[in-house]
Amino acid sequence: MSGPALRIRGLRKAFPKVVAVDGVDLEVARGEVFGLLGPNGAGKTTTLEIIEGLTTADAGEIEILGLTWERNGQEIRARFGVQLQSTSLFNKITPREALDLYGSYYPKRRPTQELLELVQLVDKADAYHITLSGGQQQRLALALALVNDPELVFLDEPTTGLDPQARRSLWDVVRRMKGEGRTVVLTTHYMDEAEALCDRLAIMDHGKVIATGTPASLISDLAMPSVVELTFEGTAPDPAAFATRLGQAVEQRSDLWEIRTPDPKALLPRLLEAAEAEAVPFHQVHIRRATLEDVFLTRTGRSLRE
Amino acid sequence: MMLWRQFAMEWRLYSRDRVAMFWTMAFPVLLLLGFGTIFRESGGPKLSLVRVQSQAPSPRDQALDQAMVDLQLKVQTLSKAEAEARWSRGETAAQLEPAGDGYRLRLNSYLMAQAGATAGLVNQAWLVAQARLSGAPEPQRIPLQVESPGHKRSTNYASFLLPGLLGLNLVSMGLFAVGMTNVTYREKGKFRRLAVTPLPKWIFLLGQVLHRLTLTVTQAAILILVGRLVFGIQNQGSVLDLLLIMTLGTGCFMAIGFALSGFADTAEGYGAISNLVFFPLMMLSGVYFTLDAAPAWLQQVVALLPLAPFLRVLRAVFNDGAGLAGHGLGLAIVCAWALCAFLLALKRFRWA
Repeated sequence: MSGPALRIRGLRKAFPKVVAVDGVDLEVARGEVFGLLGPNGAGKTTTLEIIEGLTTADAGEIEILGLTWERNGQEIRARFGVQLQSTSLFNKITPREALDLYGSYYPKRRPTQELLELVQLVDKADAYHITLSGGQQQRLALALALVNDPELVFLDEPTTGLDPQARRSLWDVVRRMKGEGRTVVLTTHYMDEAEALCDRLAIMDHGKVIATGTPASLISDLAMPSVVELTFEGTAPDPAAFATRLGQAVEQRSDLWEIRTPDPKALLPRLLEAAEAEAVPFHQVHIRRATLEDVFLTRTGRSLRE
Repeated sequence: MMLWRQFAMEWRLYSRDRVAMFWTMAFPVLLLLGFGTIFRESGGPKLSLVRVQSQAPSPRDQALDQAMVDLQLKVQTLSKAEAEARWSRGETAAQLEPAGDGYRLRLNSYLMAQAGATAGLVNQAWLVAQARLSGAPEPQRIPLQVESPGHKRSTNYASFLLPGLLGLNLVSMGLFAVGMTNVTYREKGKFRRLAVTPLPKWIFLLGQVLHRLTLTVTQAAILILVGRLVFGIQNQGSVLDLLLIMTLGTGCFMAIGFALSGFADTAEGYGAISNLVFFPLMMLSGVYFTLDAAPAWLQQVVALLPLAPFLRVLRAVFNDGAGLAGHGLGLAIVCAWALCAFLLALKRFRWA
């Protein structure tokens, strides 16, 4: 098969009070894990729902596996897999029954046992849905997205609300999907998740894609890909005088200062000098590589978590 | 095949929900057994009268009491204080008390049907008593018999209650099992999850409707069976008429459930709406007691709601063996409700 798994041009959707999606272009290649990263309300879920055919767009073109909703709705549904933010099942249905039932909706289906093994729910195959943990329910939702052996899988915030261990085990399932050659499109507001899972990313904010690329290229494209942090015991003091002497912008966080730089080696002697001159009572110095969080911060002036 | 799977899964999951099973299957049977037994009457129904004791019973009092018993009146003799207490509780339909030289008959304005008939019998008894005292020939009287229009057997409370419960089951099935389910499916995103599969939505809905339909039939069969085994109640009408009217009722109340589910976004909101509909219907439509004693305007309003005419037709068929032909108006009202609800459901029903 040739051509991208997903191609979107000029997607737009306005609700009465807000423009949720404001001219989004995306292209996802076959076999890659593609992430939509952005804070809550950035328009990720609306974008995904339009692609999934749950919401109609005001404008824009969507091509899924070379198909369009106008002409090939049933074929798209048969060939993609979807995990919604909340997958509601009957309280007293078992994973095995749910997989059998949803599998029966499709012309092509994977064996239930194989799916149970894939998401490590063999032990819980005959337990009622309501007795599963949050992580197990979410893994079942992923298995349900795979019942039809789909070429393309959409995952909406697959790990939101899960504890760290459950998140890791979900990441493993996503990696296995990629290993099986599927294309995965997922949304997340966790930058570590995006870095860990995604081959490529689109960073979204206020309904627009503000940057696209691999996690590594997004970071190295920053003008100042390194960050020097001065940490304090307790609240960080006002950095104004220090910044003037250093001749460089200093950002104040709750208990630390951040100074972005292209060249930490050159900055460090000057920084220590200025700190001594101003008698800055800092506790430790850290030098770290910028993260996707910094990419978002640099581009929007806001933190992902705000 | 898809439809069958969907239908079978509905039944399998329903059978695991013990609470729902209790309320839909066992509870109506318990109601029938409980109330049917409590209000069971031995023999035919009698008109009853409260008699306030005379301070010193005269021969005339004794003659009247005897005549009333002869005329099949159920007489309960109480002291003045006891009788007053009972009267003010509203339990007495008619009360005979000594007044001056003679008697006075007090009739309960809320129970005029029963009180009026009783008054007629008391007056007959009084004529009989006077004749006996004076040695004159007893006046001829026309005997009086109380029974339901169709059949003498359908006169105990259980046989009145049973069709009421059949109807109430349909209402709660439509409002709760259908309406509430749709709202929670929509609220929890179950409809959305189905929308991204190739399963046609109508198959899902039809599977659900078929399940509720077979559930209703099972429910009704159990109630009718228990009524027959325990109280000897039999369907007096034609089975076909019974099936027709039950099918119409099921369709009507299911459509109402679908329509109402379009007016709420959350299960809580729907709970409020459905109770607002359910309780007045249950209390006013003659499920547990007839509304003959209610003000005329209220009866007229209730007669236009779907449940009361439905129960009237159902009782006519089931208890009195009537045909459907004489009940065109009642059937028309139920049909009109079904049609309006169906159209409203088409307009308001939402998947997301």
